[in-house]
Amino acid sequence: MNGLDLTRLKEHVSGQGPSALDPIRERAIASLESDGLPSTRHEDWKYTDLSVVAQISDAWLANPAAPISTTAADSLLAALVDDGEVDWLLLRNGNIEADGVKELAGVSVSRLSDGAHKPQLTTPLAALNAALISDGLVIDIESTPERPLGLLFLDDAADSPGLSQTRVDIRIAAEASAELIEYHASFGDNEHYGNAVLTLDVAAAATVRHLRVQNRSRAHSQTQRLDVRLARDARFLSASFDLGGKLTRNDLDVDLVEAGAHAEFRGLYLSGDGQHMDNHARVDHRVGPASSRQEYRGILFGRARAVWNGKAVVHEGADGTDAEQANHNLLLSEHAEIDTKPELEIYAEDVRCSHGTTVGQLDEKALFYLRSRGLAADDARRLLVRAFAAETLRSVPIPALTDHLGGILEHRLADIKDIPLNV
Amino acid sequence: MLNIEDLHVRTGDADILKGLSLSVNAGEVHAIMGPNGSGKSTLAQAVAGHDDYQVTAGRIEFDGKDIAELDPEERAREGIFLGFQYPVEIPGVNNAYLLKAALNAKRKHRGEDEIDAFEFLKLAKEKMALLGMDPKFLNRGVNEGFSGGEKKRNEILQMAVLEPRLAILDETDSGLDIDALKAVAEGVNALRAEDRAIVLVTHYQRLLDYITPDVVHVLSDGRIVHSGDKTLATELEERGYDWVVEAAAG
Repeated sequence: MNGLDLTRLKEHVSGQGPSALDPIRERAIASLESDGLPSTRHEDWKYTDLSVVAQISDAWLANPAAPISTTAADSLLAALVDDGEVDWLLLRNGNIEADGVKELAGVSVSRLSDGAHKPQLTTPLAALNAALISDGLVIDIESTPERPLGLLFLDDAADSPGLSQTRVDIRIAAEASAELIEYHASFGDNEHYGNAVLTLDVAAAATVRHLRVQNRSRAHSQTQRLDVRLARDARFLSASFDLGGKLTRNDLDVDLVEAGAHAEFRGLYLSGDGQHMDNHARVDHRVGPASSRQEYRGILFGRARAVWNGKAVVHEGADGTDAEQANHNLLLSEHAEIDTKPELEIYAEDVRCSHGTTVGQLDEKALFYLRSRGLAADDARRLLVRAFAAETLRSVPIPALTDHLGGILEHRLADIKDIPLNV
Repeated sequence: MLNIEDLHVRTGDADILKGLSLSVNAGEVHAIMGPNGSGKSTLAQAVAGHDDYQVTAGRIEFDGKDIAELDPEERAREGIFLGFQYPVEIPGVNNAYLLKAALNAKRKHRGEDEIDAFEFLKLAKEKMALLGMDPKFLNRGVNEGFSGGEKKRNEILQMAVLEPRLAILDETDSGLDIDALKAVAEGVNALRAEDRAIVLVTHYQRLLDYITPDVVHVLSDGRIVHSGDKTLATELEERGYDWVVEAAAG
């Protein structure tokens, strides 16, 4: 049962508004009562222990104090908003901020409590989320927006353990083209657990360009789930960056439900001392022809831990499937550990599938080449680490935030202290 | 300028250089020829300071100073340049970035200011024009997706920008078509100068049709077994290496 105190959870939920959410909360609690949270005996959760998530949730339920805004969070918010490149919707400490629902050309933003949208509950964590959300965002992108739409998940946990549960359901209309940014940041040294559940329903011939940035406090944990559904000729192009956090678990599920759909997503994770980063990505090819490419890169240093599991399922009859999965890891410390596993399940005949993973150190030949040009050994090593990260950075499908992202990535790379030549 | 005495070099378990001596003066161009496996590339790597090549005996002096203890980057900043037989592809590192970082490392070593962006671009484009390289190569990853000829031109570009005092070009002619070979030779010839020495390591004579060496050496089994003027290269092309090797063993 993983420790989650359901009695207390039910007490907390009962009488919480808005009442329009009561039916989904009931469903969620019933699901938690029957299944609980997954334990490490569950294949998908073998390397990521959710007991810390249950502990923080219980601590918060015992004392659900409203967090005090941190100045660091305020400054990030101001910087991103002042930048003016992106239309931001703000979800702070799990709450949809008053100006989080605004008028944007081509975009309709409403709340889950408005009742028009019935959310799916696919997993125990999605149930935990649905039980505890104060509300959810429902975003309909009806035509191509002028500017990128940003979702800013901002959490403060300076004084007491914090919990934030956020739910966002997004629909992209046929033939629209949208740029979507998810930015997860948190501040404060107290414990915090964030649980974000997002769905992205992309109609025929629509294109979504997606950028996800996670740069949370190193004391905070997060689980996140994004379910993407692609209709005929729809395209999902994505780049994802995990830089911060203590325990981070991302589940990305992409469902190619009609012919001509194309998903192409990349991820970069920088895991250092005391960090645990787990990326599970699954693609379901239900019909063909359709294509998917995924490439995750990891840089591990200090006492870091990372997990990658990339799965492609080619369903019966999905002929003409073209699927690629790759995971490359730079292991810069003998104390770092990566568990990496590509999986292919193929039930169709005419398919092209490939996968590969690598775990290694810096290329000795490249190091000597750089040094022979006069670069100091340490500079040469750092340059090669940056180059490894740059491969993902240059694939970001959205031009907005380029400088900001480059800046926080550089800042994080500077945390890598000594890079040994051989591990 | 370069003075090598009785050099023994080991890589892995194998002794490759077994008492090699070579003296190259400023202003000279030397060609080191020899059959495959004779130790030509080992010599080049050892002078550049590759860790895998361990000097077990003998000396390598540059400008009268023993460089055995210097790191590769220190040797580079002192003015030694190695043109690689197989230039390394480094995706994610911009060609212009590397050129500028290399140039600035050297300038800093000499106590000079870093080059400003405008001056650098002007210099790089000027050298690229000389080598018939498209300026767009500046913004590509280092050697990333370059053809064999483009990689070798890129080596010569780095040499032209860095203006080393000693350049060792390891099989720079291999894999080049005739146009690339001419462009590379032109780049090398443009750098011939009284205060600079160039060592061409090559298996074939054809590069020497375009760059006339002052001295030609034959390397065999880790030693220089014969030296002569430029006519030796032609003779080797006609008669092969066996006669020199046998005479030396004789």
